[in-house]
Amino acid sequence: MFDLIGNLGLGLAVAFSLKNLVLCLTGCLVGTLVGILPGVGPIATISMLLPITFGLDPVGALIMLAGIYYGAQYGGSTTAILVNIPGEATAVVTTLDGHQMARRGRAGVALGIAAIGSFIAGTFATLLIAALAKPLTSLALVFGPAEYFSLMVMGLVFAVVLAHGSIIKAIAMILFGILLSTVGIDLETGEARMTLGMEFLADGIDFAVLAMGVFGVAEILRNLDNVETRDVVKQAIGRLLPGRAEMRQSAAPIARGTIIGSILGILPGNGAVLGPFAAYTLEKKIAKDPSRFGKGAIEGVAGPESANNAGAQTSFIPLLTLGIPPNAVMALMVGAMTIHGIVPGPLVMTNSPDLFWGMIASMWIGNLMLLIINLPMIGLWVKLLKVPYHLMFPAILMFCSIGIFSINSEPVQVLLIGLFGFAGYLLAKFGFEPAPMLLGFVLGRLMEENFRRALLVSRGDMATFIESPISAGLLAIAAIMLVVVLLPSFRRGREDVFAE
Amino acid sequence: MTEVARGTAGSAKQAGAVSRKELGAAAILVALAVLGFALSSELPRGTLRSVGAGMLPQALSILLGLCAIPILVGARRGAGGSEELTFSLRGPILVLSATALFALTIKSSHFDGWSTPELGLVVAGPLAIIVGGHASPEVQLRPLVTLALFLTPFSLVLFGDLLNLPIPIMPRYVQEVLLAGWSYRGALRLAAVLMVGAGLLVLFTGRRASAKAPTATKGG
Repeated sequence: MFDLIGNLGLGLAVAFSLKNLVLCLTGCLVGTLVGILPGVGPIATISMLLPITFGLDPVGALIMLAGIYYGAQYGGSTTAILVNIPGEATAVVTTLDGHQMARRGRAGVALGIAAIGSFIAGTFATLLIAALAKPLTSLALVFGPAEYFSLMVMGLVFAVVLAHGSIIKAIAMILFGILLSTVGIDLETGEARMTLGMEFLADGIDFAVLAMGVFGVAEILRNLDNVETRDVVKQAIGRLLPGRAEMRQSAAPIARGTIIGSILGILPGNGAVLGPFAAYTLEKKIAKDPSRFGKGAIEGVAGPESANNAGAQTSFIPLLTLGIPPNAVMALMVGAMTIHGIVPGPLVMTNSPDLFWGMIASMWIGNLMLLIINLPMIGLWVKLLKVPYHLMFPAILMFCSIGIFSINSEPVQVLLIGLFGFAGYLLAKFGFEPAPMLLGFVLGRLMEENFRRALLVSRGDMATFIESPISAGLLAIAAIMLVVVLLPSFRRGREDVFAE
Repeated sequence: MTEVARGTAGSAKQAGAVSRKELGAAAILVALAVLGFALSSELPRGTLRSVGAGMLPQALSILLGLCAIPILVGARRGAGGSEELTFSLRGPILVLSATALFALTIKSSHFDGWSTPELGLVVAGPLAIIVGGHASPEVQLRPLVTLALFLTPFSLVLFGDLLNLPIPIMPRYVQEVLLAGWSYRGALRLAAVLMVGAGLLVLFTGRRASAKAPTATKGG
């Protein structure tokens, strides 16, 4: 306990330096901005901004990138409430009741409770990360290659379970992602794999290029297909601070949302997206009068908004303790850490405690800043929503091109984001989601490495994966989840959850 | 990719009521599996004791191909619904052209026997914005030009000046001959100032033109 306080003290000291405060604020502002603008997400933004972090020290770079990610969760809800379009995938459920509240002249209260809920959830998640860091890190030290491999298999199975749409297509996309990750020189034998003899593929496909292609460019192409009408709420926003009765009404949903979001966020496979769905369903189930939902129930905003922010933050846990990125944003964080020579995993905490605790403390500071950025500055954000998309996307396109070019000064990579974007757009047309593919790609290389190492240690005996109790347990969970998700009754329930 | 799409259209005609979307999905998976297997077939598979470079890619390709089977079975049962597959070519072609033009003009690339000229960000940036901007049917040239004239200098200053990233600014000829005595930063700032000036000019003349004839908002 004293350890925890001491560590957080160290973190606060690091995070409170002027430079880190400015970087944290920059991250939060950029995050809010991309969260508010539909069609630009944190994944494309962070890959665009990776080159910017070259000139920063690692602590500052990660503080800023983290700020973009959780800042986007705040911003996404603003658009959901005012325009009825989710600014981010995690704000989809907020449109249901948040926008209805806005229509009834309670936009301010909806925004206020979303920000307050997010702040409480963020504070709790920060403490949770700090508390879980030590035990999970020591767990990581007993993990061998077999355990790591099984853990990642479990993570990918979770990603399938949590993915939208067809299960088999999600599995196919994960396999395709792993396949893409094998392109390049084989680290053990030095053979070029599937490079078509092209030099720029020898190092493998750059993750930032793939991410920007399938999340930046493909998203533009998809948006161009649907003519979007933005119907910004005309009613006055009204008072921002919820009254005492409204606070009392939202307190329990915020607590429940925070817990659900925190748990789902730790699970690999984009738990931050599922958290709000689960929180909304729960609130509706236990409400005395479920018919109020969809007509502006404040619980329907408070619960999910707390859940998405908690999930966004706890998804740092697997990355910081085990070195396994649970979603695409965390994979970009791996990229940012590697650029600065830091290997994500259990050693970060002992080798660079200022980075580890500084980043965690900055999350809490960032949440406080977001509360301030979001509430009084709401008028400015509303103005931004009036920028038409046909002027926004050419700007995004140019920033993507400059961003990816400046990572390696390699014009081919600009060509590649276009091609990956088109491929991602085509795949989406046929019902394939890009998110599982990206996760497969991220974990693919780690998985292959650990798989081969485990077999090398066991001299080619596959039983090594079930002889260790931890590995066997993880694989068993994965198998059970996979069977359950394929059962017809569960499948129908899952479709209902996503249909809402 | 285009072959896959054509193959889909062909098989859908024979299949009648079966969802084209699902058939296309299965065809894509098979194509990817074949491609993956073909590209990795030369690599040694190795044994479990010492796994070779080819084992994982080949195994993954086979699994990927197998995923097509349940999708096909589902398609026969009518999964995927009657959702129509519509493709518009305008968006993809113009957006792809925009990134390609940016890639070909930002820095000189060398190919067998020929190379592209280095024109720098002052050309590549506006090209990407103006060509890419035409992907939307609501395109208007004047706002796009204005946007390009303000965003390009912004990026020049942000990436080149503040962040020290080595970005080619302008055509090499101009920089070497006309601005021979200038430093990298000086040339960058000059280019930025000139572009903002041009941007203000376009903005100002646009305002006046639209003030004279309020209906003529479509510039250029």
